[in-house]
Amino acid sequence: MTPSHRQNVGPHPRPSMSTKPMFHRVFAAEPSVVRKTLVDIRARFGAGLDEDTMGRLELVLAEVLNNVAEHAVDVQQGTSIHLCIVRQDAGFACAITDDGVSLPQECLQPRNLPQDGATELPEGGFGWYLIQDLTQALCYYRERHRNFLAFSVPFDGAARAH
Amino acid sequence: MELTANDQGEQVVVTLAEPRIDAAIATRFKDTMREIITKHRKPVLVDMRSVQFMDSSGLGAMIAVHKAMPQGVHLTLQDLTPDVMRVFRLTRMDSVFQIKASGDQQEMTT
Repeated sequence: MTPSHRQNVGPHPRPSMSTKPMFHRVFAAEPSVVRKTLVDIRARFGAGLDEDTMGRLELVLAEVLNNVAEHAVDVQQGTSIHLCIVRQDAGFACAITDDGVSLPQECLQPRNLPQDGATELPEGGFGWYLIQDLTQALCYYRERHRNFLAFSVPFDGAARAH
Repeated sequence: MELTANDQGEQVVVTLAEPRIDAAIATRFKDTMREIITKHRKPVLVDMRSVQFMDSSGLGAMIAVHKAMPQGVHLTLQDLTPDVMRVFRLTRMDSVFQIKASGDQQEMTT
């Protein structure tokens, strides 16, 4: 609990002015459920947000969540995803945890586009490139049986290289 | 898979009615498009204006479709929405695919 929270307790608490819009959900790691969740996230944050930021947030989340649904699922127990997104002053802070198999370290290492140096066009391998390209402060750790991934998606698309 | 294929003689126009080409639908999309390509064996124009969102699974399917085209027969994508165009641009696949902006609806054979 932060000091600002404590100021709002007592017989006459005032509403917190620093409440941040957020989205929090626990759901099964399946492509159709991921799709529905992404549609709901757009409905949650889309109003009043520039289309470029909404598009980047949606793409990053699609890549991360589908990656869990496709590669991390424990086929015997099933896998659930905990997703939390908070709209902050400079962008969206996102945290995703799941109880699937661990993420290979190579996913987080700086990477080039998969077609660089390839003789034939690759049909995959773009997901982590996009995640790394569109996020800031990307970090991952595994604790006991869970994967934890956190990153932010900045508002300012104009300041980016593209 | 919501799409229609219209054989217009010189080319087949495929109109996608799916709002999202994503991981949930990528395999079906790829298979359906391959059937169309195999059946017609002529240039394909894909009308993408209804597709609001595409992820890397959808891009991968699109690349597979591109590779399934017979030698020398073109695949053209038309009217990409901004979120779909972003995926092509960030992965530099916009330099691999023939992409037509909205407006230039006329002849694709010049």
